[in-house]
Amino acid sequence: MGKILIVDDTLFMRTLLKNILFSGGHDIVGEAGDGDEAIAKYKELKPDLVTMDVVMPKVNGIEALKGIKTFDPNAKVVMCTAVGQEQMVKLAIKTGAKGYIVKPFQAPKVLEEIKNVLGS
Amino acid sequence: MAVVPVKIEKDGKWVVSKIDIQKEGMTIAEPFSKNVPFKSVVDLEQKKNVLFITLKGEPPVVLKVASVEKVLHALKKFIIMSCSAYRLMAYFMSPAVRGGVMATNATWEKGAIAVLKTSIWFVSQNKQVSVPLSEVTGIELTKREVTNKQADVVKIEHLEDGEVIVSYVLCPISTLQILMNFLADATKDMEMTGDELDPVSAQVGMLIYSGMDSHAIENMLSISHKELDRVYDNLLKLGLIEVVLIRKEVTLTPKGVRFITDSVKPPSQ
Repeated sequence: MGKILIVDDTLFMRTLLKNILFSGGHDIVGEAGDGDEAIAKYKELKPDLVTMDVVMPKVNGIEALKGIKTFDPNAKVVMCTAVGQEQMVKLAIKTGAKGYIVKPFQAPKVLEEIKNVLGS
Repeated sequence: MAVVPVKIEKDGKWVVSKIDIQKEGMTIAEPFSKNVPFKSVVDLEQKKNVLFITLKGEPPVVLKVASVEKVLHALKKFIIMSCSAYRLMAYFMSPAVRGGVMATNATWEKGAIAVLKTSIWFVSQNKQVSVPLSEVTGIELTKREVTNKQADVVKIEHLEDGEVIVSYVLCPISTLQILMNFLADATKDMEMTGDELDPVSAQVGMLIYSGMDSHAIENMLSISHKELDRVYDNLLKLGLIEVVLIRKEVTLTPKGVRFITDSVKPPSQ
């Protein structure tokens, strides 16, 4: 079980992820709606893991991932994006993402991926 | 080429027999004494360790063959490569995504794709994947990065044990287009013909997909039980959902109220 920061620009997706992660026994320590906020919240809350949407206004998920990795090279970030944007995987993994979730997703698989990344 | 031990269903009972697998067909030993050319096979399904081999005919004959996976693997390979089906040589990746999570060990497999009456088969040297057409939830001609270049691929999504599995097929675009048309025709019953979903219904659909129950959906979307029922009715009408459970909402009878109030009273002196 871990302390998790959820980053997504839509309230709906944040609520869905929060619900799934909470049901898996995780502690949701914070939420952010864009990349800038994600970096600031990461520095403030120091979560065990971040779920990061890729496509967001202002600073996108890849840029936020870079920012977080610069601050904490050991940060565990699971990228989260829509179907059809799988080509972002390579870039995100290269940047240091530990996992990748494609929307729409199913709760058991999300929890499995989070568990894997937290245990890595 | 190889004689393998099997059990074949006859009149509701499993009968021990042997199959001689050859290049063009198979010969089933006694008591069946039957020669089956692979070209006469029009459909192939596997449920656990039983193969359902449908042979051309009026009505079609279904052979149920049970054996160990090693034998079934060999049999399937020969049947899929020679049966009566739309078949193409291609690269495939299956599963690439399972339940929304990228399969980290997914690789492109060189092999064949066969579209049969009720299922699509991906077959390579080491792998055999079956996708029942009735479980296909989406097909799309899209692009994917392959060896640092954007390549045209067909993406096939299907349900397996409640999980959505994404697979990809890679081959020349002209062949992909034929495959795409073939699959579109085979799954045309899945196409939406109703009105577009309103935003709340779409959100409810997404939450159901993610595994949320009615109570969680009401809480997450801050909608009433009645409003959710209205959305469910709409999704049911469009054939997008099915009812799996009807939960009861109840209130206590006077007898129930008395029982509960009595149960919390301190013991009488």
